Amino acid sequence: MGADVLPAEIGVGVGWRPEIADVLAALPSLPFTEVIAESVRPADPPPALLSLVERGTVVIPHGVRLSLGGAEPVATHRVRHMAEVAEALRAPLVSDHIAYVRSGGLEVGHLTPVPRTRETVDVIVDNVRRVQADLPVPIALEPIAALFDWPDDELTEAQFLTEIVERTGAPLLLDIANVYANAVNRGEDPTALLDALPLERVAYVHVAGGEEADGVYHDTHTDPTPPAVLDLIRELCARRRPPALMLERDGDYPQPSELRAELDAIAAASGYPRITTPA
Amino acid sequence: MSGNALGDARQRLAAKQTALAAALVAGAPTPDGFDERRVAIARSALLNKRAGEVAHTWPALAASLGPQWRTIFRGWAAGRPPRGSLRDGFDLARELAVTRRLPEAAVAELAEREGHFYYDGIRPPRHRRWTPSFVRTPLGRLRVQLMSRAMPASAASDEVPGTK
Repeated sequence: MGADVLPAEIGVGVGWRPEIADVLAALPSLPFTEVIAESVRPADPPPALLSLVERGTVVIPHGVRLSLGGAEPVATHRVRHMAEVAEALRAPLVSDHIAYVRSGGLEVGHLTPVPRTRETVDVIVDNVRRVQADLPVPIALEPIAALFDWPDDELTEAQFLTEIVERTGAPLLLDIANVYANAVNRGEDPTALLDALPLERVAYVHVAGGEEADGVYHDTHTDPTPPAVLDLIRELCARRRPPALMLERDGDYPQPSELRAELDAIAAASGYPRITTPA
Repeated sequence: MSGNALGDARQRLAAKQTALAAALVAGAPTPDGFDERRVAIARSALLNKRAGEVAHTWPALAASLGPQWRTIFRGWAAGRPPRGSLRDGFDLARELAVTRRLPEAAVAELAEREGHFYYDGIRPPRHRRWTPSFVRTPLGRLRVQLMSRAMPASAASDEVPGTK
């Protein structure tokens, strides 16, 4: 299972957030979007989101709290909620991260890296299989941006991710900004990771902005997408173009004209049609 | 992998993940082998993210403290595990109220929440089911006024609020 969990050549999208719902509704076309799964009440989804579903937009519930990389199996109520959101939005796919967000009663409040060990692979594979068994649709797995690595690491990021997706059959949600952030922060070449990853398993791609502070690159989602990340989209699409690429913006929302310009830049880099002008 | 081996793997992973989580949000030392500087950067980024989330849930509280908001929030939240933005804001606003550092512009917001929620500071806030809407704000305001008066005047502080 890989890219075929979504229709081919969907194109460019942008993450749905209440603050930019009007800008999204005003786009001539929006083939693809995503909503934070935990923010949706399945019995009462936002009407603006339902009208996008009616328009034919593919809407993916994107989880941030499953803690698939946690030492505990995912709590059943969280999986049930995800399943109900997927059904309410007629989603073909859901997604969450290869990370943990809580442990030992502590909520970290953000996606935290896991040690890249064989033992962690076993735990994550078991967590993902249990979640898969209780979901009506596939779940795509997204690698995160990490500000630091574990001293326990035995596997490279590509080995670690490949092993998890091969053993679970899950598609990948590749965040191209995270690929960039991790490469910068580890002093590596981002295209080397693209070469090492199973790109045929990529269901869709996240694109986002960040900023350099304290000598590290922070994946903020509140800054414009930097040119280096747009270049990496070109590198990715030259190897294998994913079915969809989606801009994530989570605060400091720009003027509608700036947001549209950013979507146009992603369209240009990927070769997909613009979604800001009528076809 | 056998069930037992997986269970052991889960236990070892849990211990490691909890130690790192405690270093990130609960003031525990960074576990051995990690890059201290990078973990400190992550800890700081978590505080900023949390400050933004609490500001979103408590807009008057954050706005009333203006440019000092982030400093005050970070000073209060450092080493204190996140309990969700509703509760974090509740705890901070109440602490500022009892030490008479809650700006007037934030009193109505805290009063309104005191009216809406039953919160004993131990268990998560629960919606008050019985309070008719017309008494919510006056009741809350009364609670906030009582809370502020409960502190002796000597507790009022002239130092910059929240900075450590």
